[in-house]
Amino acid sequence: MTIIFGFLAGMMLVSALGVVLSRNVVHSALFMSGSFLAVVGFFVMLSAPALAAFQLLIYVGAVSVVILFGIMFTQSPQVRSFSTIVNKQVWAGLAVALGVGGFLSYILATEDWGATEAGQGTRDVAAFGEYLLGVGPDSEIFAMLFQLVAILLFVAVIAAIVISRRKDTDIESASDVRDVGE
Amino acid sequence: MPGPIQTVAETLNSQIPLEGFLIVAAVMFAIGAWGAVIRRNAVVVFMCVEIMINAVNLTLVAFADFLPDAGGIGASYAALIIAIAAAEVAVGLAIVLAIFRSRRTVNIDEVNSMRG
Repeated sequence: MTIIFGFLAGMMLVSALGVVLSRNVVHSALFMSGSFLAVVGFFVMLSAPALAAFQLLIYVGAVSVVILFGIMFTQSPQVRSFSTIVNKQVWAGLAVALGVGGFLSYILATEDWGATEAGQGTRDVAAFGEYLLGVGPDSEIFAMLFQLVAILLFVAVIAAIVISRRKDTDIESASDVRDVGE
Repeated sequence: MPGPIQTVAETLNSQIPLEGFLIVAAVMFAIGAWGAVIRRNAVVVFMCVEIMINAVNLTLVAFADFLPDAGGIGASYAALIIAIAAAEVAVGLAIVLAIFRSRRTVNIDEVNSMRG
């Protein structure tokens, strides 16, 4: 257990640092996939195998690919020096992040959580599905939350299409830019 | 009196306490927050926000596994958070693409006006 935990924690934190400090944006995206993979391992350790499968499919699969598409559309493939990828707040931001991380770690470590014991989550995928649909015991609120999330996803997909749709004026202005460049 | 090898083996096989997961998630959240503050590239800022969301999700699943009264329902909340984060990525990248199309840059230090 300790070896697996150490491996996953190291992979997750090193990958997260790689996202922040990598000069190449594509490397950042691949480091992000590694970080999400480590979270998948943690979910398996925490007896949530169905959620681990969701995480693998949605984050490591879909979100990484969507972000790589975003990089493909917006980036020029040059490696910049470190000072051009970060703004002036790098040390102030580090101090704030260390403060936030230290404060959260202190609070979470010193709080008395009562009788905690591993393995109390449900490994049963059928029970997980019943909780998610609001038919399980003590989970009636999910009958509403599930439909709210469905509506939210619907609205978000429409919003993404509306925002990123290429308008006729954009095409004209883009060709103007190209003419000026030539 | 167990030998040192036995002690090491017991330590390696012992259960990880709840605080271990919580602290790893907190450190991951801090790294994501650092990146979201210092990076200039809007797409990388999105990645850092995703890392922060994942850290919160990990905290939630750890609580659902360790607290006796949670009853495993926390994992269902985590599934909802994954869905909402996916929606956020879709809308956010659409906004980044729209900004790139009108300004030819994704550097968020240069994008300081709401005017299209």
